[in-house]
Amino acid sequence: MAERKPGEKVAPEPSAEVKMERDSFVHTFFKKGAEFTDELLRENDRLRKRLFDLESENAALRTHLASDEAIRELLRKIEYLEREKEQLLSHVREAERNSSHLFTRYSEVEEELSNLAHLYVASYQLHSTLHLREVLRHLKELLTQLVGSRAHAFYMKGSNELVPIASDGIELPELPRLAIHAGSRKEEDRGSHDRTGELIERVFMTGVAHIEEGDLSVVPRDQPAACVPMRIDDAVVGVIVIYSVLDQKEQFLPVDYALFKMLGAHAATALMGALLFADSKGKFPGLDTIAAITWHAARAGGDLK
Amino acid sequence: MSAEYTCLVVEDSPMMRQLLVFALSRVKNLRVTEADDGVDGLRKLAAGRFDIILTDINMPIMDGLKLVKRVRTDPIHKDTPVIIITTEGAAEDRKRAIELGANAYITKPIQAPQVIAKVKELLKIAT
Repeated sequence: MAERKPGEKVAPEPSAEVKMERDSFVHTFFKKGAEFTDELLRENDRLRKRLFDLESENAALRTHLASDEAIRELLRKIEYLEREKEQLLSHVREAERNSSHLFTRYSEVEEELSNLAHLYVASYQLHSTLHLREVLRHLKELLTQLVGSRAHAFYMKGSNELVPIASDGIELPELPRLAIHAGSRKEEDRGSHDRTGELIERVFMTGVAHIEEGDLSVVPRDQPAACVPMRIDDAVVGVIVIYSVLDQKEQFLPVDYALFKMLGAHAATALMGALLFADSKGKFPGLDTIAAITWHAARAGGDLK
Repeated sequence: MSAEYTCLVVEDSPMMRQLLVFALSRVKNLRVTEADDGVDGLRKLAAGRFDIILTDINMPIMDGLKLVKRVRTDPIHKDTPVIIITTEGAAEDRKRAIELGANAYITKPIQAPQVIAKVKELLKIAT
């Protein structure tokens, strides 16, 4: 206890009532303080909770925002990939077009090669011999094997008539010699033989081939499927007549036209060469003959004719 | 380049033979041997092994159908594919050839792409 100083007044002791009142006030004061503290603690808790909620909400919003950004990024990527896919599809379509074009071109080249092979083989075989029998055999084979002819004949010009010199699929004696009328044949005299004869004669006179176009199965039986003039230089010296074709030969193809053209230009020279060779009894001209021809040509001041 | 496949062409017409050889030369790795009739064909079959045979029907000495019959009894070539090439387009000729053991039938006049395609198909060569 503190020591009392001299002269110091001592306050009188409060009465019991005052004491009680004071105690009651203190009690009330503390009680209120405790209540207030409790309230403050609760408020603090509430605020903490609210803070936690806000933080959670904030985190969720942040996540959402990040997710939105990711979606936007994905959408950008999808758009880019879509563009890329379109470009690739366009490339594929272009490649397909090129491929199709190349395939068509390849088929055309294949066909062209095949046609050239036909022409080469025909020409090679035709000129591979000077023996008349062989030349005729090759000509017949060429028409049968490469063109698909079933019956054909070769007419050569004689004196004012066309004479059949060889045939296949039709007997040679059955074929008439054809007088060259130069268009003076009478209409009423025409029989089926005459119609064919007239056609052969016309092809011989004009030098223009007659080749049936389209379906060959509908060509009348008495009408040749093709008549091709044979030439030596500009002169027509004979006609190849194709009377009928194999059943499976539906129509003449571009390669047949090329073969007919080749035959028109080469068949007669091959035949004529073989005839000259036969006429010379199979002897080849010697160097003396060649020298004599060259000398005569030089004296005449011109080329070899 | 060594040939992976061997082919025998039996055809009496030199023109057709030459044409077939030309066509077949476009099949990669295929070596072609030529025979000018059925007997010559048999001789060449006896001397070697062939992966495919192309034969004409109408030939002197031995025709193509007899050759097919012989090939089917040959232990080495009994399973070798045979393509018949002929001028005969009739269905009964085709039937007869197939019954005798031919694998395919091509009518003349031949088209090279058709022959090439058939040979590749029977030899199982990818196009």
